[in-house]
Amino acid sequence: MLSKIRNFSIIAHIDHGKSTLADRLLEYTHTVEKREMRAQVLDTMELERERGITIKAQAIRMEYKGHILNLIDTPGHVDFSYEVSRSLAACEGALLIVDATQGIEAQTLANANLARQNKLVIIPIINKVDLPAAEPERIKEEIEKVFGAKPAEILLASAKEGIGIPEILEAIIERIPPPQGEVDSPLQALIFDSHYDAFRGVIAYLRVFNGRIRAGLKIRLMGVGEEFEVQEVGTLKLGLVPKNELAAGEVGYLIAGIKEVKQCRVGDTVTDAKNPAPHPLAGYKPIKPMVFCGFYPLAGEDFENLKDAVAKLQLNDAALHFEPETSAALGFGLRCGFLGLLHLEIVQERLEREFNLNIIATAPNAIYKVNLHDKTHTYVDNPSLMPPQAKIESIEEPYLKLTLFTPAEFVGPVMDLAIEKRGTFVNMEYLDPKRVMLVFEIPLAEIISEFHDLLKSVTRGYASMDYELVGYRPADLVKMDILLNQEPVDALSVIVPREQAHYRGKRLVEKLKEAIPRQQFQIPVQASIGSKVVARENISAIRKDVLQKCYGGDITRKRKLLEKQKAGKRRMKMIGRVEVPQEAFLAVLRMGK
Amino acid sequence: MTSSILHTPYPIPQSLYIHIPFCKRKCNYCDFVSYAGKEELIDEYVEALCNEINSPPCQSETNPPPSLFKRGGKEGGEFSTIYFGGGTPTLLKPEHYERLLGFLKMIIIFKKETEISMESNPGTINLDYLKEIRSLGINRLSIGVQSFNDVHLKTLGRIHNSKEAVQAYKDARAAGFENMNLDLMYALPGQTLEEWRTDLRQALSLNPEHLSIYNLQVEENTPFWNIFKTYIPQTSYPLPNEETELAMYEFTIKTLTDAGYHHYEISNFAKPGFECKHNINYWKNGNYIGFGAAAHSHLNGKRWANPDSLEEYIGSGSVVRNVEHPTSIDSSRATDRQDSIFLGLRLLEGLPKAKFAGFEKEIGELMRDGLLEEKNSNYKLTRQGLFLGNLVFEKFV
Repeated sequence: MLSKIRNFSIIAHIDHGKSTLADRLLEYTHTVEKREMRAQVLDTMELERERGITIKAQAIRMEYKGHILNLIDTPGHVDFSYEVSRSLAACEGALLIVDATQGIEAQTLANANLARQNKLVIIPIINKVDLPAAEPERIKEEIEKVFGAKPAEILLASAKEGIGIPEILEAIIERIPPPQGEVDSPLQALIFDSHYDAFRGVIAYLRVFNGRIRAGLKIRLMGVGEEFEVQEVGTLKLGLVPKNELAAGEVGYLIAGIKEVKQCRVGDTVTDAKNPAPHPLAGYKPIKPMVFCGFYPLAGEDFENLKDAVAKLQLNDAALHFEPETSAALGFGLRCGFLGLLHLEIVQERLEREFNLNIIATAPNAIYKVNLHDKTHTYVDNPSLMPPQAKIESIEEPYLKLTLFTPAEFVGPVMDLAIEKRGTFVNMEYLDPKRVMLVFEIPLAEIISEFHDLLKSVTRGYASMDYELVGYRPADLVKMDILLNQEPVDALSVIVPREQAHYRGKRLVEKLKEAIPRQQFQIPVQASIGSKVVARENISAIRKDVLQKCYGGDITRKRKLLEKQKAGKRRMKMIGRVEVPQEAFLAVLRMGK
Repeated sequence: MTSSILHTPYPIPQSLYIHIPFCKRKCNYCDFVSYAGKEELIDEYVEALCNEINSPPCQSETNPPPSLFKRGGKEGGEFSTIYFGGGTPTLLKPEHYERLLGFLKMIIIFKKETEISMESNPGTINLDYLKEIRSLGINRLSIGVQSFNDVHLKTLGRIHNSKEAVQAYKDARAAGFENMNLDLMYALPGQTLEEWRTDLRQALSLNPEHLSIYNLQVEENTPFWNIFKTYIPQTSYPLPNEETELAMYEFTIKTLTDAGYHHYEISNFAKPGFECKHNINYWKNGNYIGFGAAAHSHLNGKRWANPDSLEEYIGSGSVVRNVEHPTSIDSSRATDRQDSIFLGLRLLEGLPKAKFAGFEKEIGELMRDGLLEEKNSNYKLTRQGLFLGNLVFEKFV
């Protein structure tokens, strides 16, 4: 039985065609008939389809020539690399897709490295070979050089045109080894994804490595240490297909009355509570948020709704952290922790779209480790809560290993950018005469701001990046406060490198001046460090703003103008007597180069 | 909805508006519904107007029967005003007005004090023309002077020069017009404060009964929009900045007030007793019926509009004016009340405090910010509020 199972993932850089290839495999194996095919079946969230990215992993079972092929989909964004790694841990092989017009990009390499760490067999596939700009020969060389693949192992395909699909299926069966495992050993199953269903509770997706799991079995989740009774197991087609049991080597789902995804962490090991495995499967770690920001309702009375909404999202998103916080300027809100910027944006967008909330999001920041003179230390996830300078011995901030891929002609500008953003050069390697891989170590705080946008602009969109956390490093940082109309606005405080404080303060007040619309009175905008003002701008008062003629009895047009003006103000937060739009909170991210 | 008018006493339309959407050419700033180069349609258009005036608008129950107008004329006292606006009403021949007024006389009673205004373009009138329309009963003439500076007139795309404007004014006086308005604009491209002062003094020297003084506004879908509001301004004659605009406006208010004019609305000044009744009715959110393409009506809280297109208007034959017409504009009671406030506040006397019920919070903020004040049981704009009217108005929509 095991010999007929193949568990595999598809990994790729964004837009290299992963989802389209998945669709073709499902069609070709008649798992999904063409008529029920929505483009990209696996991306079910509306947002995923709009943004063309896969946020949550899923799995689906195909049957082909007497084999069971379990495709385990992986999220395609660096924010979710831990989840990618767990999905890959559930497989024996991976299809590595490389765009025939673009070649190896940052996430191609990052994902391939994760696959190698998980000891997967990699099948390299050059996709989009039908495009006029395709350069399969050059890309083949890149793949040979970077991954050590033999030219004969590299498949050519066009998922869009259905070219090369049978060859890929053959390769899956021939090259990917069947799962190993002992059906009679104590149960060990890896949770690689889960989602919350309003009716059935948490549905966990898992890969059984040893033993078997069936309804009625009492299980223990070894990482979180909680026990549940299995209600149902089964395999995954487009929906859930109940089955008596899942045995070693199989991929499927589990329902066990689990209330929250927090109790059922990705990466955790399921075992038999009465006959537990001696140790969990390797690699589980609780996910820690890397990026934080405050969410505040525009209307104070919406706070409870906001809290309920975030709690609802959290049911299905174990990586989302939140706790209540209070800002003198913005009132009651939530400090939220995210895996990365994309994760943050998605949550914010869902709150606005699905829960119809108008919120202000403060500028995202990293979490700082602050060592105090009294030899204790604390973690600060909100710049306004930075302890007073006098108490601080030193501050450490999270650093990343940043891998960049760029056409060779942009190496200079990319170097300049990374160094300006406090990066330290680590390595440079030519993939071929035209493409270069650069590695830096750089503070997370710099990546959170507009680094990616600036990278795209200095390389005309041709560079790609990937990063991983490497740890905390000491840094000479200070808290900079912002005063609007002489009043400090805690929600605008930022942590900046001391040596750049004046420059950044100046840019920040300039950006705030652009972002905050003029009002009836002049508004001074100041940046200060401690009690010292380092930069100041004035937002001048509106002097004259009055509709002229109201003519010919057509009131409605004038009314629309007034309504439009008013609607703009509804999107703003009143701080003291100043109306502040969301853009102002992002000004700190838009420093420019 | 259809019964709300039916079951209340018929309101009395205070005013009639007739739109004349023809121009020799479109001015560079104008976004009103008017067409250049379609003068061959004037005859047909006048016929369509007569048809509309004559057609019993009570084909729908919701519209008042024509007798209403007569009744209003008899019993309403203050009724009524008639206003020929454009476009360029003076592109029509006197015979056209003879015919139109004939039809109007069938539905309303003209009194001696009925204010009958006409807008005119100095480039389209002469003494004979003015004599003829005066003799037909037009008793208030508004001249679209805009500026006495020929350079600015050219920039605006006007078809006349300053000399013609002065001549038109003198001809109108000679023709017997005793109630005259001049339209002027300031904050024109490249205009200095001193140039505006000169313009205004020249207007004053003519001694008109009424002055409408507008800050040029750059509207979408006009040539000026493309010149001044696109990403890269394409002109070496920039618009005056806000400080200059403010200085021009302040100078205007001071000069005209000192000269004995009553500053009764944001942009309007009159010698006592010569305030424009027709426009006051708009600002008091009163009832009015509009005839012609793009004409708007407001009757007992309902608003509707005729189609913008000349051809569509002419082609519709006897237009069924109907609040349920596809071009009708819905206006709920709450909306109409809001309209009453933001329109009413344009009048410098303000409007009665009772009208602001439910807006106590807004009133408090506006008074705190010095934009609104209380006077004679009215809330009215302060001087600062006059300059920042939109910040006040938006609170009530």
